[in-house]
Amino acid sequence: MFAAPGVAWLLALFVVPFYAVIALAVGKPDPIFGTANPEWNPAKWDATALSNAIGRIFGGDLGNVMLRTFTYVGITLVLCISIGYPVAYYVARSARKSRGAILIALVMPFWISYLMRMLAWVNLLAPDGLVNRFLNFTGLLGGPKNWLSGNAVTVVIGLVYGYIPFFILPLYAALERMDGRLIEAARDLGASRASAFWRVTWPLSRQGLMAASVITVLPMFGDYYTNGYLSGSPNTSMIGNQIEYYLHGTSTPQTGASLVLILSVLLVVLMAYYLVSTARAARTVALR
Amino acid sequence: MTPPMLSRRQFLVRSAAGLAILPGASALIAACSSSSTKSSPTTKHSVAGSSTAPPAGPEGLIGTPGNAVKLPIYDDNKAIADGLKPEAGPLTILNYADYVSPDVVKAFETKYGVKVEITPFDADSDLVEKVRTGALTGDLILSASYDTYYKMVAAKLVQPLNHSYLPNFVNVLPALQDPFYDSGSKYTVPYTLYALGLDYRTDEIDPATVAAKGWELLWDPKYKGKISVLNNDRESIAAALLRKGIVDLNTTDATVIAQAGSDLKELVASNVKVTIDTYKNVPTDVTTIGEGYSGDMINAIGQLPQGTDAKVLGFWKPEIGKLAVNNDFQTVLKAAKNPVLAHLFINFIIDNENAFSNFAFTGYQPALAATSADELIKRQLVPETLRSCLLSNEEVAKGLRIHALPLDKAKLYETAYSTFNAG
Repeated sequence: MFAAPGVAWLLALFVVPFYAVIALAVGKPDPIFGTANPEWNPAKWDATALSNAIGRIFGGDLGNVMLRTFTYVGITLVLCISIGYPVAYYVARSARKSRGAILIALVMPFWISYLMRMLAWVNLLAPDGLVNRFLNFTGLLGGPKNWLSGNAVTVVIGLVYGYIPFFILPLYAALERMDGRLIEAARDLGASRASAFWRVTWPLSRQGLMAASVITVLPMFGDYYTNGYLSGSPNTSMIGNQIEYYLHGTSTPQTGASLVLILSVLLVVLMAYYLVSTARAARTVALR
Repeated sequence: MTPPMLSRRQFLVRSAAGLAILPGASALIAACSSSSTKSSPTTKHSVAGSSTAPPAGPEGLIGTPGNAVKLPIYDDNKAIADGLKPEAGPLTILNYADYVSPDVVKAFETKYGVKVEITPFDADSDLVEKVRTGALTGDLILSASYDTYYKMVAAKLVQPLNHSYLPNFVNVLPALQDPFYDSGSKYTVPYTLYALGLDYRTDEIDPATVAAKGWELLWDPKYKGKISVLNNDRESIAAALLRKGIVDLNTTDATVIAQAGSDLKELVASNVKVTIDTYKNVPTDVTTIGEGYSGDMINAIGQLPQGTDAKVLGFWKPEIGKLAVNNDFQTVLKAAKNPVLAHLFINFIIDNENAFSNFAFTGYQPALAATSADELIKRQLVPETLRSCLLSNEEVAKGLRIHALPLDKAKLYETAYSTFNAG
């Protein structure tokens, strides 16, 4: 009885949508329009498109794009941790007077559409944009650099810029909730600042760090417009670009849905680690 | 086909697609949009007496140059009667964003005392899907393409036209008065023209070199990192086919298509951009040369950095026989609440003077005889240096066409393009 709201939530927001994606992947396109027609009856499922997509991902022509996606997301996550953790830590533990201002600054990007922010980067990184002008002025570049044509660095910068607020805010919330007396106790017992951080703060913030990582990483795997705007090159295309292509007017939308399924299964591995880790942490707290 | 004037349209595509930021969201949206509809009718058509025999399937409605199609008039989907009074409106037009002049729309509103509402859509496929599921309603589609129109005819989403409301139809370019995709213009009236070619910087590549080498320049390593092809499977593969002198842009030969895909794949090493934004990338020097539409460079003038002369913009138009052309067209929805007004609007758009006003805003050549290259240049709507962006009646009549293909054949192009675009 108590679980009813949770079950309803799970059904409405996970089971039904996931079944819809499966139904799409194993359905047949509309005979006239070629648009996606989900097949709800499992007895009529046709897994041809799904098995083709699996073949193309694992050892086929789409393997590199999946690998590239995981690489970009991985690098972006490392950068988000490197930049976002110190910022979240500073705001939560050190900044007092400036905390409100910094939080507003962190939230402000959400006021502007993600796409508009990417467009701003397009202008900044254009051959005659401010970035090139500054780098040339300071002598760091010997001429205009084309940042917007197949440059992986640009795409990763775009991903970091676009997603880092999603990373910092949950991490800040976790760090802010931490009992400061534990750190004081560590210092009183002789721990250096670094030691207190590694022995107290870091372990206590791990759940927040993982939550922030999950919130950041999951949408990033489906991202296709960061590459579209900042590169547009096959050299930097991500699996989201393929999904978007197949679901946007091709004769085989089932391929797009199949790619979504494959990606979801791969992400389940990451999610499983997060869930197991969270459950373990919850058990530890309960035992105490 | 990816239609012209894509700047804001592409923005809309991606804005709407913002919902699809989660890996499964776009698939879920597709599932939900289809879930409320049944499969479309396929083979059984009830056809009025004088029209052609019912086609074997919707693919029988695909016209090709030299094999024009007479679209059927169905018993339960006939044109409106003659002499009806215009409705009170408002007239709802489905169109690509910013693909009709607000001044022309306002003039229509003033003339007929009605309100006009424009509902933008972002891609042909989205348009058809939304119209058939009822998610999008309106009276007139201003910029349909022949990739999708036959499906709308087969599914009776559009209604036949009554030409008694279209006295200005005589203004239409002779080559398109009886088009192969709709013989007798039963359902459609042409809107704009465009061709496939190369947008480029004349200050970085000599126009004589472009004229001599044409498509081959995209494969020239000299322009590595400064090239682009269109982000459309059929049109990007067309560039690869034309480079090899293959003019059958609708080939269904799997080997030929796969080879064209491999040829495109060679461009990955040159860091090719796959985009429709050449009208922005060339003027801002992000790219030096790229496959584009003939209207791109006219629109690109407004994108040039301040103080840069429009002479730096060039468009290479292949010669007749190797030139791929296309046109958008207007059609009235079957569910139109204001079909008479919709006819009157079509007639208004193909008025010669209104067409010039419309061109001044959209930058895409109206499909009328009066809006010739000479006249557009004489009226200073296009600089002489961009004369190549404009098409003649002969070029439209003899131009190669990328037409719709049966779904199983279209798949060959999709796989080749997907493999190329995966890098």
